[in-house]
Amino acid sequence: MAAWVKGGATDADSAVDAAATLLAAARTPLVAGLCAELSAVRAAYHLADAIGATVDPAAGQSLYAELGSLSRTGAMLTTPAETTGRADAILIVGNAPWDRPIVQEIAESAPTRGRAAGTERTLLSLGGPRNGATRHVAYPAEAGGLAVSVAHLRAYLKGHLAGETAYGDLARRLAAAQYGVVLYDAAELGELGVEMLQGMVKDLNEVTRFFTLPVSDPYQGRALLQLAAWTTGQAPRVGFGRHVPEHDPWRFDGARQIAAGEVDAALWLASLPAPRPDWLGTLPAIAIVGEGSPEATGDAAEIVIAVGVPGESAGGALWNDRRATITYAPPIGQPAELTAAGVLGAIQDRLVQKKAASC
Amino acid sequence: MLIRIQGGRVVDPTAGRDAVGDVWIENGRVVAASERAPDQTIDATGCVVMAGGVEVHSHIAGGNVVMSRLLLPELYTSEAAPEGHPFAHAGGSAAWIGANYARMGYTIAVEPAMPPASALATQLELADIPLLDRGALTVMGNDDHLLQLLRQREGKAAVRDLVALAVATSRGLGVKCINAGGASAFKDGMLKLSLDEEIPVYGLSTRKIMTALLDAVEEIGVPHPLHVHCNNLGIPGADASFVDTLEAAEGRRIHFAHAQFYAYGVTDPENSATGGFRSAAERITEAMEKHPNATFDVGQVAFGQTVTISLDILRQFAGRKGANPKKWILTAGDAEGGGVVPFLYKPRGAVSSLQWAIGLELMLLSKEPERTILTTDHPNGGPFTDYPHIIHLLMDKEKRDREIAGLHKVIGERSGLCAIEREYSFSEIAQLTRSGPAKLLGLADRGHLRAGARADVAIYRDDRDRTAMFARAKRVLKDGVTIVEDGEVVTWTSGRTLELNVESDKAMVARSETYLQDRFGAGLSSFEVPDEAFPKADVFEEVACRA
Repeated sequence: MAAWVKGGATDADSAVDAAATLLAAARTPLVAGLCAELSAVRAAYHLADAIGATVDPAAGQSLYAELGSLSRTGAMLTTPAETTGRADAILIVGNAPWDRPIVQEIAESAPTRGRAAGTERTLLSLGGPRNGATRHVAYPAEAGGLAVSVAHLRAYLKGHLAGETAYGDLARRLAAAQYGVVLYDAAELGELGVEMLQGMVKDLNEVTRFFTLPVSDPYQGRALLQLAAWTTGQAPRVGFGRHVPEHDPWRFDGARQIAAGEVDAALWLASLPAPRPDWLGTLPAIAIVGEGSPEATGDAAEIVIAVGVPGESAGGALWNDRRATITYAPPIGQPAELTAAGVLGAIQDRLVQKKAASC
Repeated sequence: MLIRIQGGRVVDPTAGRDAVGDVWIENGRVVAASERAPDQTIDATGCVVMAGGVEVHSHIAGGNVVMSRLLLPELYTSEAAPEGHPFAHAGGSAAWIGANYARMGYTIAVEPAMPPASALATQLELADIPLLDRGALTVMGNDDHLLQLLRQREGKAAVRDLVALAVATSRGLGVKCINAGGASAFKDGMLKLSLDEEIPVYGLSTRKIMTALLDAVEEIGVPHPLHVHCNNLGIPGADASFVDTLEAAEGRRIHFAHAQFYAYGVTDPENSATGGFRSAAERITEAMEKHPNATFDVGQVAFGQTVTISLDILRQFAGRKGANPKKWILTAGDAEGGGVVPFLYKPRGAVSSLQWAIGLELMLLSKEPERTILTTDHPNGGPFTDYPHIIHLLMDKEKRDREIAGLHKVIGERSGLCAIEREYSFSEIAQLTRSGPAKLLGLADRGHLRAGARADVAIYRDDRDRTAMFARAKRVLKDGVTIVEDGEVVTWTSGRTLELNVESDKAMVARSETYLQDRFGAGLSSFEVPDEAFPKADVFEEVACRA
């Protein structure tokens, strides 16, 4: 079964019609989630423009921890393959990156390209779990948290603080690197911490080559960020209420809007797994979700449409964490009857028909 | 459908045509004058009729263009405008790019810097640019795989096969090298690189890498010559890098990107780093006249705020000190990466004024406008939307003098612009913006209005205010379909992305698969640009290699 309306199983066409009816009646709709293949995200932006909706992806919080700093100061970045192939010193900030496969790869390899090739790699941590499973040199975070710790480390690097302290030692190790990389999670480090970290890495480049590698969010944020930028000229959180994309990370924060009662209908797009928002069953909502997912049931939302899962039952352009770029994931099994982009396009077509009929 | 564009001043320098006459179109192509009654007649009385404009070098897609939007979200403004396309009014977006080129009468635009490592993202973005045909140049010259082949002296065939595979996999239209070896050198600690300086680790030089790519491009038969971004962009003495690179080509076809940024002669040889620069436009022009194998695009400066985007991370790192506002992004990518540095060209500033003058000087000194392509290296020198204003300056000496009077006096002191009396004709403008770039890309059915040409046609009201004339075409036809009327888009067509039809060597495919798996833990399939990835069908159109 592929679709449900108000708990009852129905065909896709009826669900699309119900979705169009719901959205046509909405005054301040929200299009959220966007954890999906790019063709679906593209269709979601087009639909959002057509209905004057706000757009806010599931990856919003993680993305904006990075984007605020990016637009204020910029960044120095590198890729996973360059990190694995070139880096002789890697600093892991915080706890979150330790769950990522790249940490193990880094720990088990040594630089093979560039001027550091053949040297031993040093793995360092700041405020990490200190679990001892991976060999590294650990430096604890300060009481003020990660951002303050990074600030103190930067002060040692700049020579504003001095002395035989742990951070003084860490600063010397970083400055001695030939190709250094800082691995961090923007959501964990926070906006100010990211800005401080990027400043520190820029400082380091006065004496050596040093870059950052922020770990990706798991909700396709890096891919949709690119599509949002080329589609609207802006980062993802935009509102189309005036039928022109207005970017405002606070105003178009979907969670804030819902909490403030500013949203009267929502569309949740998650053809890939994403945490189900608590408003999905309470707001008038449409859920376009991957078939076989926990949300693909009649009680998940007022209208539920199950679609192909990219890389499984549908093809799609997705963020490839290993390659740090967008790559195509073909379907590996029987293609699903419905694709997310197809459903979104059908809803938009139905809206146009309804509008024409009402004139 | 038979269409007759009637009574306009038809300007087609490839046919020696500059007179009032007609242009006939049928089934998307220009045809000979017909005896039959046309199905549609377009009155072009009082208008200038040219082929659609051809853009060879404009940064309109890719990861660094995305980064520039995120770094400088305030650069463009979005305006509510009922255009019929949901995002054409979203400043800086793909739709905005397509709409603004089309309004000016351009019908094709090429992104000059597509890294093979992120080709799919670039191609998806390009495909979302409406109205225009598009293309992208595959960037090589800093990738470890290529540099390994050269270090191991594997021979021309191996390099050719790797280049062909990269172009085929990324679906590029041509090949570009950007400060060859410079990104690699930067990652290994160098901050400056000249043509023959040794690149750490590999023991190569820019000359060796570039000449290998020149050979590969010729052997493959890429219609567009190797598109070269030289060393030492933007520094006093860059003219020497340009001329040395020109000579290093040894007669092979070569195209130079944004020559204006290299036409900087040293003012004080004793103090070259800090003594400033003067125009080397005459030197560059003389060198070009001696080398008919070469072409260049200009990279004209337009005053105002912009953002510079380049895969030349060595140069962009140095340029960070001049960032305005003071923020910048630098990515050490899987080969080049990219640098994004905001910049303000100040009309009262000596440096910006001189840069502005040098670009115009290069165009006005050129005896062969077909080898001198109009670009602003969008957005590096300024936005492509400044083309009409630049054309006005080229066609109107009085206009030029008025503008010079309001700029820094350095123009008179360090460039020859003030003494140039030349005014471009319509035919020369057509060479600069149509026939020249079309020939350069090897697109035989574009850039002219002879029978058989693609029916990409721009019709402009003949107005002494050339800025107004070229900013809003009276009518633009793309493949015979009217897409613009009175400067506004009336039909939203999709256009195609041009890709070179090039064979891949099976042995190189296998070899690359092994290399990529080892380096990335992912094979060639993760570099591919499959049709299935695109939301619409028929995105690509093949272009044949040279025989």
